[in-house]
Amino acid sequence: MLALTRKKGESIIVNNDIEISILELRGDQVKIGISAPKEVPVYRKEVYIQIQKENEAAVNLENVNALKNIL
Amino acid sequence: MQLNTRLFGEIEVEEEKIIFFEKGIIGFPHCQRFTLIYDEAEDGRRKNISWLQSIEEPGFALPVIDPLIIKEDYDPKVEHELLKNLGALTEENTYVLVTVTVPADVKKLSVNLKAPIVINVDERKADQIIIEDSFPVKYPIYEILQAKKEKAGE
Repeated sequence: MLALTRKKGESIIVNNDIEISILELRGDQVKIGISAPKEVPVYRKEVYIQIQKENEAAVNLENVNALKNIL
Repeated sequence: MQLNTRLFGEIEVEEEKIIFFEKGIIGFPHCQRFTLIYDEAEDGRRKNISWLQSIEEPGFALPVIDPLIIKEDYDPKVEHELLKNLGALTEENTYVLVTVTVPADVKKLSVNLKAPIVINVDERKADQIIIEDSFPVKYPIYEILQAKKEKAGE
């Protein structure tokens, strides 16, 4: 992984069209600004992981027959 | 194409029935090609549930349902540009599905309203997107379905 040190107000450019800026530092929290084209999805990782886990749970269904009966 | 699936055994998939997920399913970026399989009831009618069966991974099948069956007013706002890779979407060619999670306790049956699957049926391109607004990842549907069944049986 590439690790870059940035100060408040500085930013990083990714792939010519995405800018990630450090907006604010407060204790152990960092406020980050992301300017990206609208077709680029940006998610908080915990939300992404939650959806990934739900997809996994849906695929590994424990009770196929129950599903068939109820629907 | 012959496919030996975990849930449906040996099936034949026609090339023109394949739906392409450019970005894969969330968490499964390598699963890009799917086909929709419908369960049929004894009277030959299609059941509410269908399955997104992966072509790359025969063991991977996601149960899905039309969200309007369980939540009539489901109408999440999606940034138009997020769907750009699906080609020209119209009201007629847009098909939305949500995944169904079936735990051991069937009473905890739920659908994921936070991350619907949007399909352009004309171009057979699809994507799973995460809705910004607060929609539940586990929306319980057991009671809703039971009530529907009772109503239909009256």
